[in-house]
Amino acid sequence: MKILTTVKKVVDVELTMRVEDGAIVEDGMQYVINAWDESAVEASVQLKENNGAETTLVSVGGGDNTDMIRRCYAMGIENGIHIEDPALDKADSSIYARVLQMVYEKGDYDLVITGKQAQDTDSGQTGIILAEYLGLPCVSNVVAIEVLDGQHIKVSRSGDAGTEIVEMELPALITVDVSINEPRLPQMRGIMMAKKKKIEVMDLAALGVSADDISAAAPRSEIVEYMASKTRKGGQKFEGEPADITAQVVDLLANEAKVL
Amino acid sequence: MSKVLVVADIKQGDLKSSTSELLSKAKAIGAERAVVAIGGNIESLSSDLANAGSDTQYIANDPGLELFSAGPYTTCVVDAARQFDADMIWFGFSESGKAVAPRVAAQLDAACATEITDVILEGGHIEVVRPAITNKVIQRVKINTDKLVAVVRAGAFEAVEEITGTENVVELSPPESDLKAVIKELVSDASGEIDLADADIVVSVGRGAKDQAGIDLVKDLANDLSAGFGSSRAMVDGGFMAHNKQVGQTGKIVAPTLYIAIGISGAIQHLAGMNGSKVILAVNKDPEAPIFNVADYGIVGDLFEVVPILREEIKKLS
Ligand SMILES: Cc1cc2nc3c(=O)[nH]c(=O)nc-3n(C[C@H](O)[C@H](O)[C@H](O)COP(=O)(O)OP(=O)(O)OC[C@H]3O[C@@H](n4cnc5c(N)ncnc54)[C@H](O)[C@@H]3O)c2cc1C
Ligand SMILES: Nc1ncnc2c1ncn2[C@@H]1O[C@H](COP(=O)(O)O)[C@@H](O)[C@H]1O
Repeated sequence: MKILTTVKKVVDVELTMRVEDGAIVEDGMQYVINAWDESAVEASVQLKENNGAETTLVSVGGGDNTDMIRRCYAMGIENGIHIEDPALDKADSSIYARVLQMVYEKGDYDLVITGKQAQDTDSGQTGIILAEYLGLPCVSNVVAIEVLDGQHIKVSRSGDAGTEIVEMELPALITVDVSINEPRLPQMRGIMMAKKKKIEVMDLAALGVSADDISAAAPRSEIVEYMASKTRKGGQKFEGEPADITAQVVDLLANEAKVL
Repeated sequence: MSKVLVVADIKQGDLKSSTSELLSKAKAIGAERAVVAIGGNIESLSSDLANAGSDTQYIANDPGLELFSAGPYTTCVVDAARQFDADMIWFGFSESGKAVAPRVAAQLDAACATEITDVILEGGHIEVVRPAITNKVIQRVKINTDKLVAVVRAGAFEAVEEITGTENVVELSPPESDLKAVIKELVSDASGEIDLADADIVVSVGRGAKDQAGIDLVKDLANDLSAGFGSSRAMVDGGFMAHNKQVGQTGKIVAPTLYIAIGISGAIQHLAGMNGSKVILAVNKDPEAPIFNVADYGIVGDLFEVVPILREEIKKLS
């Protein structure tokens, strides 16, 4: 089985975000692998270990992605492709999906694993749109994968009313939730080996596509402004004898907030 | 005049409140309103769908649509969108909506925006507002296409009481089933429980409850209040709670009148799922727990001591 995993470099969400003049202040920002993609990488490596697979990752944009890709190599990914092109500066999900489509079509993949969502966009659509572009069966929000045979996998998806069990014919695309696994920490030996591995960096021309082919200059949506989010303020905090403070709070909920 | 198609949110045969909330917003922006309803046994819903505020109801009612499957559901929504000539297609916040919206957008060459909290019609184009980066910032997004497919964040729009519609049913032909992604089974352990998305009060349990006994203690509180019973990710990953009970960024977004967080630290990913709640009560033994930074009322204490007292005091109210 050949697996293609998509990986995006995103801002570290644990940091404080400052917004000035409609933009996020880049100063002091740090960038990390998207948490959902780290789970996609772990899922790919587990499939490789348990069922035998060749694993390739692809990342689009992000500038220098060397550290992130090396980290994925150290986790067990074998090949890395990085597409970087100034024409992608305004890319939205649909444009990223077009670039990923081109990468997929150059390989001979049986399974695409993307993250459920990227932590910078919180959008959750690129993988699903990619499946549409590729005409592949797609299940999103996957929390477990089982290989049935060379042509079929069985996945569990966390749905509205419970866990949906879906059988898929390969080639297929799944988007995974962070709950699917606990990504491993790279070990020293893997880290050393990763340093020697090559990363295939390409621009759009090398990929064999023009900016016009993928409407790179005409995104379907564009962020025109960032604003600081409304922060909630903490209210009254009670410490002391449990019986007293609990009674007091219930009284406030009933008579001040009027929610009981 | 713009034309908004709302995708009805139906669970266990009932129409959920998000449908009338979205139709109310469509009315507020002066749009023509239709709704598309998809399911296995929903023939009786057409008057409810009209009463929720729509003037046309596209209904796909077929035994093959009983269980959710993204492919066939997409076909139905695209069919209705084409027949109605919709320029906006809105989904309420649900896992099925999040799975179908991007597909519909790809098929209609439309832009797709998820978790939106507002729609603005501005000088001939559409703009949406949405949180991003785990709720740390808000984005204003300009839509460059004529058509927009959107998933609306829970609690973003309010239903107006006096909204009405007219019954005008258009039956959709059943779509072909997706033979390459076949749903085999729905493993549900939530039947009969109060739906988190609809609950007026939500009680959630976190790692502080430790184990099943702790969870049962907090669940009793939820039952006393007829509240939805949710959880932090820690208790889902620990195998104690079902996936669809998880509140947060990668779980359910809830915006109840009262949210009660018991033994939950208040990680940003959890807050992203509940900080739209009207009033928040937190119980945590650590006075420095970040949940207190968003809670309107905070009780610093051991939940094993506090929860039984909380139940007693609440019982006294009735
Ligand atoms: C990409 C991503 C997505 C995520 N999505 C979600 C999500 O959707 N939802 C979610 O919840 N999390 C999510 N998380 C995980 C999140 O970061 C936290 O790890 C998680 O919310 C912690 O759960 P918790 O508060 O129950 O546990 P902890 O952080 O361990 O907190 C337990 C709390 O209980 C208190 N406590 C302990 N004992 C007692 C006692 N006897 N009485 C009272 N209080 C006590 C402690 O003081 C502590 O504050 C996500 C993480 C990532 C990286
Ligand atoms: N620029 C990109 N490069 C590689 N993968 C991406 C990129 N953008 C999105 N993806 C993948 O698509 C998923 C969903 O992204 P989003 O739709 O932005 O939430 C991510 O988890 C990634 O796996």
